[in-house]
Amino acid sequence: MGMRGWLRRRRASAKDRFSHSSVPVPAREISDSLSDNITELRTMFTLTPDLVIRTFESKFVEGSVALVYLTGLVDKSSVNNNVLRPLLSQQSEGPASIYDLLSVGKVFNIYDFHEVERQILDGSSLLFIEGRKEALAVETHGWPQRAIEDPQLEASLKGAHQGFVETGMQNIALIRRYLPNREMKIKEYWVGDRAPTRVSLLFLADVVHPEVLQEFEDRIKLIRIDSILNTGELEELVEDNPYSPFPQFMMTERPDSVASHILQGKVAVVVDRSPSVLIGPATFASFFQNVDDYSTRWLVATFIRLLRFMAFLVATFLPAVYIAVISFNYEVIPLDLILSVGESRERVPFPPLLEAMIMELTLEMLREAGVRLPAPIGQTVGIVGGIVIGQAVVQAGIVSNIMVIVVAFTAISSFIIPNYDMASAVRLLRFLMMGLAAMFGIIGIVIGMMGLIGHLISLESLGVPYGSPLAPVRFSDWKDLFLRLPLWSMKNRPASARVVQSKRQGDNRPRGDGE
Amino acid sequence: MKKYAFNELTVLQYVFFIHGTQVGIGVLSMPRELAEEAGTDGWISILIGWVCATVASLLIVNIMKRYPGKTIVDLIPVFFGKWLGMVVSALVACYCALAAMTVIANGIGIVNVWILSQTPGYVLAILTVIPTYMVVQGGLRVLGRYAELIFYLTLWMPIVVFSILPYSNWLHLLPVLKDGWMPVFSATKSTILSFLGFELAFFLYPFLQRKQYASLGIVVANTLSMLIFMHITVFSFSFFSPDEITQYTWPTLNLWKVIEYRFLERIDIIFLAFYLFFLSTTTLPYMYFTVFTTSQMVGSADHRKHLFILMILIVVGAWLYTPTFIDLKKWSEVWSMTGMVGGYIIPVIWWLAIQLFRRGKGGQKG
Repeated sequence: MGMRGWLRRRRASAKDRFSHSSVPVPAREISDSLSDNITELRTMFTLTPDLVIRTFESKFVEGSVALVYLTGLVDKSSVNNNVLRPLLSQQSEGPASIYDLLSVGKVFNIYDFHEVERQILDGSSLLFIEGRKEALAVETHGWPQRAIEDPQLEASLKGAHQGFVETGMQNIALIRRYLPNREMKIKEYWVGDRAPTRVSLLFLADVVHPEVLQEFEDRIKLIRIDSILNTGELEELVEDNPYSPFPQFMMTERPDSVASHILQGKVAVVVDRSPSVLIGPATFASFFQNVDDYSTRWLVATFIRLLRFMAFLVATFLPAVYIAVISFNYEVIPLDLILSVGESRERVPFPPLLEAMIMELTLEMLREAGVRLPAPIGQTVGIVGGIVIGQAVVQAGIVSNIMVIVVAFTAISSFIIPNYDMASAVRLLRFLMMGLAAMFGIIGIVIGMMGLIGHLISLESLGVPYGSPLAPVRFSDWKDLFLRLPLWSMKNRPASARVVQSKRQGDNRPRGDGE
Repeated sequence: MKKYAFNELTVLQYVFFIHGTQVGIGVLSMPRELAEEAGTDGWISILIGWVCATVASLLIVNIMKRYPGKTIVDLIPVFFGKWLGMVVSALVACYCALAAMTVIANGIGIVNVWILSQTPGYVLAILTVIPTYMVVQGGLRVLGRYAELIFYLTLWMPIVVFSILPYSNWLHLLPVLKDGWMPVFSATKSTILSFLGFELAFFLYPFLQRKQYASLGIVVANTLSMLIFMHITVFSFSFFSPDEITQYTWPTLNLWKVIEYRFLERIDIIFLAFYLFFLSTTTLPYMYFTVFTTSQMVGSADHRKHLFILMILIVVGAWLYTPTFIDLKKWSEVWSMTGMVGGYIIPVIWWLAIQLFRRGKGGQKG
């Protein structure tokens, strides 16, 4: 709690620092003179060559009209065909109001220049009309965007092949396709003073726990910052414990995974301009689950689940155990084994910790090099790393054979963990454990384990225990933890998410012909 | 009104919390202590000790039922007034601190002897202090989760002991009561002290979510501990000969030493390392209630400042002074004596006082 209190104090002081920018300057009203308005616009947007101000006469209004927008942020065909053309081609001075002429869905009035600024920058087209103290905002967004593709980081075998893109509205639409339910509510906030970002909270109103939602909202409202460019930045500003290596929110690019979490009673946050969606509250175990688990047969899925948890243990502790056993507690392993290990270490001049560090760091470098490189060069890195270094380093007597095996096994294990953030956390912990093992042997590893457990069980995500359902133990959730029991056996939503309405299905147990 | 609503414990957490506190350093030396006093009849003493502990813990739960929403620390000022209350509270804190220190110092001592003979004690103290702080700073809620999780994580340990079954000789246990009842009773003194830990119910009761299970829970906790003690003792008795067992300081460790697999030798080292988990479930609660008491005394709700000071004191203390095993024995004796008073004598007197008071009041309550 102290951490949170401290954070709150820090946030409060950040609020003071930014307060000069958020003092409401009395907004200038839109005047009824068109030329005044245009002058005002020109003083507001100096050095803005992409601002288009088109004045024209239209039959149905007395005086002229000005159409204002930023090129590139609007859909040109929509502006030309649905706004300009009807206004220009209107011949008769019929009774039709201007609203009836604009063939665009969303049109609304705005009255001051604050709003004008925001709408223009958001990609709307504005119509200023001589003699009216208001402007019409016409929604004509249309900025350059990417097509919907398979998400790269979370490829799925059997799940949907749609990933989020950089437009918040599209992402919300993708989620809505999975949840056509009026109880799925959206709360919108604008975060960032200099470059406001639309942040939308999506949740099932009759399922989510109001306290969890409130906590999430409060934290988002407290943010005072220039701008957030990415979901990751938002996550860092709202998480419970900033010093933990573990991700405290789930980040995903998959709409089906978001939908499944919302159905479990969690809150999803769509950040405009970012292809990742934040989901909270997250639990430690949820980082080991994957949408594919639910579309494979449950025995297979269970096996894969167990594999992942084993991979977590191996990736965290294996090099540490090796170091401990080789340099400290060699009496634990049988004589024959220690002899063969000794034989392979015969020519190696380094202590086991250094040997392990060399190999681990090499591997991390190779991985990091591969990430940023284009695919063809990436393959070369793989070959150079895998074959040349792996083989040569042993032959040169720098690293022992067994160490290469240990490191390779560890690396493979860390790739099995389906969530990238969790896998990265495990990588960091590994070095900590290696250090402890090199200093204190098995005792060091156990102390490290104790600290890890202590940290995991005291960590919280949005005030919900992170270790749940392991600590506090909630046996009802264990159906979907190490095992993935048949779907029809999970009649209730997981208790770990803290929901107010927990029933999610009736009795669906398949009965053969016999009954 | 509900001062402790934030820190509630579930029934299982309450059970494992008390069970974890009871099973600590004693398990390592218990078979020897019993064998010295009562020979291979020592296991009967465990049963007697279990009955005594269960009675005492039921008395405590019954006493605390009369003061809903209050821990012992809240009650002390009510009974003793402000200044005397301070003194009594300080004594309670000292008792908890002594218990925690004894277990930590013993743990460090054993690790020093058995595994890390070159490492100075204060380095091990630093090592133990770090995870301790990480858990205890979270308060009782986190401690409850910890106790529960550790119970499940260490379940494999008693099961592995079964692998010495082929080598055990059950005739060692016969004849039952070879020297009569007297040695059994004299050994009971040490067993009832092994069950110490249930006295934390004085603190725990108001934190319990469903109070109707308080009595049942504490009986289950005592029974679990009894089963563990019984398991280890009976297996040691059947494995070592009755004379051999008294020669080992920690027969339990020697018992593990003989277990051997084709891929793993010297399991005792792994066992002792994991035994630190058992020790932690004893020290952490005592540590928590030490700082809980002191911070309540000065009237602050945040126990972390005191915890931090205590941690530094432990490290500095370990740096300045390394207790010998004879010192540790003395500490244990002092803990046992105070534990006898706090865990057995006070509940009985208190309970009798309540009964007398009730009778004195006459038929008002029926």
